[in-house]
Amino acid sequence: MGAWLSEPLTWGNALVMFLWGVVFLGIVLGFVTYAIYFERKVIGWMQLRIGPNRVGPFGLFQTVADILKLLVKEDTIPRKADRFLFILAPALAYVPAFSVLVVLPYTQNLYFADLNVGLLYYVALSGISTLAIVIGGWASNNKYALLGGMRSAAQMISYEVPLVISVVGVILLSGSLNLRDIVEAQAGGWFWNWNFLPQIIGFVVFIIAAVSELNRTPFDLPEAESELVAGYHVEYSGFRFAFFMLSEYVYVYAIAALTTVLFLGGWHAPAPFLDFVPGILWFLLKFACIVFFLFWIRATFPRIRVDQLMGLGWKVLLPVSLLNVFLTAVYLELFIKN
Amino acid sequence: MFTIDFTGEYAAFFLFSAIMICGAVLMIMLEKVVHMVVSMAAVFLGLAGMFVLLEAEFVAFVQVLIYAGAISILMIFGIMMTKHQQAEQAPVKPLKETLAIIGSLSLFGLLFYAIRRTTFPEPLPFQPGEDNTMAIGMTLYTGYMIPFELLSVLLTVAFIGAIVMAKKEAD
Repeated sequence: MGAWLSEPLTWGNALVMFLWGVVFLGIVLGFVTYAIYFERKVIGWMQLRIGPNRVGPFGLFQTVADILKLLVKEDTIPRKADRFLFILAPALAYVPAFSVLVVLPYTQNLYFADLNVGLLYYVALSGISTLAIVIGGWASNNKYALLGGMRSAAQMISYEVPLVISVVGVILLSGSLNLRDIVEAQAGGWFWNWNFLPQIIGFVVFIIAAVSELNRTPFDLPEAESELVAGYHVEYSGFRFAFFMLSEYVYVYAIAALTTVLFLGGWHAPAPFLDFVPGILWFLLKFACIVFFLFWIRATFPRIRVDQLMGLGWKVLLPVSLLNVFLTAVYLELFIKN
Repeated sequence: MFTIDFTGEYAAFFLFSAIMICGAVLMIMLEKVVHMVVSMAAVFLGLAGMFVLLEAEFVAFVQVLIYAGAISILMIFGIMMTKHQQAEQAPVKPLKETLAIIGSLSLFGLLFYAIRRTTFPEPLPFQPGEDNTMAIGMTLYTGYMIPFELLSVLLTVAFIGAIVMAKKEAD
């Protein structure tokens, strides 16, 4: 991939890049389809239910059927909604969700863009999705949608701050914002060279803030169905609703891949004698573990109370992540620099 | 006078300019305040694209993070918390508008004439930094250490001041 990126942009190269984009979109859609299936299955098993088992063998086509249903459903726009913003919001939510995936490196040679400020790019673009959610909630002209949108924006902004500060430690250790360099800095053969042990405080803060950014249980207040009907997307149906759901699951993909890259050593093997296994398999294994972990949290945690939510973000996570930056800087100054 | 060889960079430049100009014009023309904020976010994104063309990725993505993300959301919050149901209609004043059009057209003419008449010194060949994030950090923490620290103190003071003022109102 690296050689492709530095070639001049001719029509042929542009076509090849476009096709790669399409292939990647197909992979992401496949991931989303089966992530939803596994989420329902895993949560079902954890709660002593069976989960989807009717459509296809073991219910494998359940999500496909659900998506088909969404696509053929009537597309309604409420009469009093703000038409332009109502249509804009789902697209505005999805575009950044898909664009952030471009900087994630999968192996030494398999990556889509080698951006010098990859991490900053990820953080900056994922902020735009918040805008889309607020606009969607406002444009629906519905009390519950507006409340859901407000909650979502407040939550995503409050947790984005500790999320960003918690990775500063990783940036300090590897001396780069480029995600490929961050993975390379974790090379060394053994798993204790990966960032999650030296940066254990940052890692914990990152995971908590990431779950909150994804608006998943225990932080799924924006769509708390017992209080808000459904949250910011109450008025959406059919294709537009599918877009909101899709961007939510694409962010699951993005966060899982980002955690793998930042803290779990990317494509590196956990021990030197396991180096013969190709890097992409290690990457996929770690990626799958994190996705499973997210499902596990969702199945077992109760929802946090709305007044505790902001307190946790600003009074616990933010000071802890700042402390982590300070400790990392002191460690680097005392032991590494000399 | 207009000799431009059409490359991908120019195509991108015109695309971003179009986004920015459309966003800016719409920002003034639209009547609902939320629509204005959204078109202004388009201007911020176009500006970030311009920074990428100038090979200043760090500034570009900080632009997206702060302006397109944080500031736009802050404004939308401000608008939603206050009441803005009806679109505000300004009374039409024909004389004033004619004068404004003449004034802005002559300003444009003057600027355009001046820019076309000036002979710019031959620019040095552009040297993109190897890692401009590193370069920004280096400059900030060596040459501009004191102003940087003073700015941080100023921001902290403003931040605490905002909290104190909000607290006073709440009590």
